[in-house]
Amino acid sequence: MRKVALVAGGLSTWGIRPATWGELLQEAGQELFANARNLDAKDVDSLFVGAAQPERLAFQSHVAPMAAELLGVRPSRFVRRVELACASGQTAIQDAYVAIASGLSDVALAVGVEKMNLPSMAEATTSMANVLDRAWDGVHGGTAPPFFAMVAQRHMMEYGTTAEQMATVSVKNHRFANSNPKAQFYAKTFAKEKLLTGPMVSPPLRIGDCSSMTDGAGAVLLVGEELASKYTDTPAWVAATSQYTDFHNLANMASLTEWTGLRRAAQDLYARGRTDAAHIPLAEVHDCFTISEIVEYEDLGFCPKGAGGKFAAEGQSDLGGSVVVNPRGGLLGCGHPLGATGIGQAVEVLGQFQSTVPAARLVKGASQALTHNLSGSANVHTLTLYRRES
Amino acid sequence: MSAPSKPYLLDFYPLEDEKQTRIAPFFAHLRAGRLTTTKCEADSSVHWPPRVTCPLCHGNRLVWVDLPKEGKLYAFSALVLGLPMGMEGDAGAVVGMVELGNSGVRIFSRIRGRKYEDLRVGDPVEFETYDTGDGRVFYRFVSKL
Repeated sequence: MRKVALVAGGLSTWGIRPATWGELLQEAGQELFANARNLDAKDVDSLFVGAAQPERLAFQSHVAPMAAELLGVRPSRFVRRVELACASGQTAIQDAYVAIASGLSDVALAVGVEKMNLPSMAEATTSMANVLDRAWDGVHGGTAPPFFAMVAQRHMMEYGTTAEQMATVSVKNHRFANSNPKAQFYAKTFAKEKLLTGPMVSPPLRIGDCSSMTDGAGAVLLVGEELASKYTDTPAWVAATSQYTDFHNLANMASLTEWTGLRRAAQDLYARGRTDAAHIPLAEVHDCFTISEIVEYEDLGFCPKGAGGKFAAEGQSDLGGSVVVNPRGGLLGCGHPLGATGIGQAVEVLGQFQSTVPAARLVKGASQALTHNLSGSANVHTLTLYRRES
Repeated sequence: MSAPSKPYLLDFYPLEDEKQTRIAPFFAHLRAGRLTTTKCEADSSVHWPPRVTCPLCHGNRLVWVDLPKEGKLYAFSALVLGLPMGMEGDAGAVVGMVELGNSGVRIFSRIRGRKYEDLRVGDPVEFETYDTGDGRVFYRFVSKL
């Protein structure tokens, strides 16, 4: 297969934005065109739009041609929306990768966008309850917070993980977000003591354990090997990608605390990329909740099963640790505009490789990095491995 | 059955009658106080939620079987902030995974009758049905403590 390079990225500012879905996307597109050297809109032959719930959150369907018009591109090979709930953005990148690697596309845009802050918060959260099996799980009030709260309860019970260890994850990611002007929680401080006494969302998860409802967009440009040098001197090469799912209804989840799908997807990623967990210096993972990041350390193989809380508390996932996790600020610090999150992670990896991110979060010399998104009830895991050298 | 009180697409409960679903017997059983699901006669697999084809052998020799009405809490939490539309009045409601007897089936449900703070993993719960307010019926579990 042809090698694929991620050569440029752009983001809107993320947060509670006085802007529509389409306006956020225009902002991200503008930054991408500014960042991509020599990019002419006519070069773009394909567009993949990661958007989780535009029908519910913006009352808009058939969003891909609308996005093309807003971005000023006229795709001639592929144009489509990609939906995989919280992993929609990374899945759009995966589709662009597949299209270019196969030779059917040469220059593809993968974008992601979500407008989540509506006049009615209840209306927005309703659109979260249909991510689970709506008629059997969502119907009881099954949204993300109570689900991940049960994961936390069992992890605490089975492995002795503590609320304080979970708060360590939140403090780290919010601190990283302070170096990221695009983050929802840029220039806001979060003391551990305050997080441990904040309002409860779904016990044992407090507000500081939860990522936010966020408005935001992102865009990345992927190209075939021979075109990379036209657009940048330092691309992020896609070394491998993987995805795995093994259930949907909560009744069919084998274990709340061991995410078998993530273990399998990670195994596939490392095998295809000819590497292993010990050689990943930088990871952008799906910290939709603090407990998620802890389980992910374990099932990505960064630490033994059950040791994720200790791993965080010891600073092993912070600068100077064995793997720097979520230096852009993660979902906790940047917010989580569902379709845009995976794009934001890729933009961070490129910025890290190009050393354009601030020193406060730069992982010096990182030769490779992985991005991870879970979606739904951690029942799908999507992974990409990037390398600085092809 | 009367029409749902809200547009279908903003309504969480399944459409239960035989004009809308092939598992209408599940809801008829609920009305009779039974918690049932489908079992494949060919490979003996038990499904949740009920199916019209077997996901294991892809056959359709499915029969209705009763699930245990008593179970134990495997995990639970409560809906404190961020409740969806139509549930705004349910703040504090408990939800959890219930292990149904020795059936090997563990399902997610609303848990009634006891506050989050007063429950522990392993506590006994029992199946009950309730009227959704528009002529439909659904299930939940109630604390036996």
